[in-house]
Amino acid sequence: MYRYYELKELESRAPKLFGIPTGTKLDDMFFKIEKEGDRYVKKPLGGIPHLAVINLTGVPDTGKSLLAEQFAITQANAGYKVLYVTVESPANFLYTAMKQRSEAMGVDFSKVESNIVVIDASESDELRENPKALMETMAYAIKEKKVTNTVIDSITGLYEHKEVMARQIVRQFYNFMKRYRQTGVFVSQKRSAQASETAEAAGGLAVAHIVDGTIVLDKKLIESRWDVKLYGLPIGSVLRTIRIDGCRIAPHDPRTWVFEISEIGTIEITVPLDEFIRKSAEEQ
Amino acid sequence: MGFEVIARPKGGNVDKMAEKVFYESIKLLGGLRRLIEFRNLTWLPSLAEAAYVVVLKNETLKTYGEIARELGITEQTAKNIVTADEEEVIKYLEGELEERPKDHIAGGIAKMAYRRLKEEGKLDTEEIEIRQEEMNVLDIDWAVHVLAKVRGLDFPASREELVERLGGMIIKGRKIEDILEMIEYPVKSPAELLHKIKLQL
Repeated sequence: MYRYYELKELESRAPKLFGIPTGTKLDDMFFKIEKEGDRYVKKPLGGIPHLAVINLTGVPDTGKSLLAEQFAITQANAGYKVLYVTVESPANFLYTAMKQRSEAMGVDFSKVESNIVVIDASESDELRENPKALMETMAYAIKEKKVTNTVIDSITGLYEHKEVMARQIVRQFYNFMKRYRQTGVFVSQKRSAQASETAEAAGGLAVAHIVDGTIVLDKKLIESRWDVKLYGLPIGSVLRTIRIDGCRIAPHDPRTWVFEISEIGTIEITVPLDEFIRKSAEEQ
Repeated sequence: MGFEVIARPKGGNVDKMAEKVFYESIKLLGGLRRLIEFRNLTWLPSLAEAAYVVVLKNETLKTYGEIARELGITEQTAKNIVTADEEEVIKYLEGELEERPKDHIAGGIAKMAYRRLKEEGKLDTEEIEIRQEEMNVLDIDWAVHVLAKVRGLDFPASREELVERLGGMIIKGRKIEDILEMIEYPVKSPAELLHKIKLQL
């Protein structure tokens, strides 16, 4: 039996638009437009849109997992339950990484560890290979632990040797997140053949087309005189960038921003790339 | 302290689901008894295999190669099962086709059974098991014994048929013969039989 809705009927079920903080400057980069008197005012959401499923993609070593962990820590520290599905890194390694990062972020790790539930799919073939088994396990954790945010690092790991099924698998997990009302982050890797600055991820454009928004992390190796002149960085160094590629739930800053990964692995988004280049030109 | 780590899958059981598809397939064929009439005993292993393939393909999203390796069959067989045309198989079983279709017969039946279970939401519902102790507490153990004794009996059933099957039983201190004396006939179904007995207790 198929149902149809009058638009009005959906009003009460429509999610409210507000932000779920990531603990980075990304929180100021999503916004909403509100009418104040006669004029429209742009207001930062303060995080990624509530109930959105955001895809973090980039080539290796761009900081995708760090950003996902920083989001989980920020939410757990604020008292919200987070489900962290680790597909690549075993749970005990994740624990060490999160502990160090929490200390670096100055948050109370005891609070963080009690608010994060981890599904370790890295060491269980069945959880990794059988989406239904994984989703049932996730449903169990979400219901039992009253989870509101879910991170899957990485969704690519769930279809890495069957990329033809990427679309089907991503769609299933996306629908799952909607059904269980989760604000989610999917980490997805790029194949070396894919242009590093695009939203495309392993499995083709499947991930980016299905999810609500994509954030692309990229790195640029300074390797020519031209690069040195343009970016004002020494040869051999790395310039990292981050960009919201699209989001169907809320408007966002479309610019490419420069970010740094601190020694202890936290992400600091600093200035827009164009400003970074202009400043470096002025300094030269 | 530490994170709570869930390292093993929870929920979902491929074996259980395949069993359900298998039994539903037999039901589709008209029941186990009817299967004997087909005089083709190779069907049962074939149906079991098809039930597994259909469940693995639809519920676990495994590739044909993975399914073939898991079940020890060829990739082509797995593919034939999943792509079998259910309509053609039905027509063949109902005698509408003179020649056996090229489709995988058991595959077609298993696919139909899977779809029916899925539509009715019966595929992954958990079964509840009631043990003897709980039956005693609920005072329903007599019902289980009655059902066991009338298994295979054609309904509607007459008093004589029921006395023949149930004779000698004592329910809550009363002879079944006395109870059967009190109820109306014919009894249309096992459920009606239980209901009528209950009213007399």
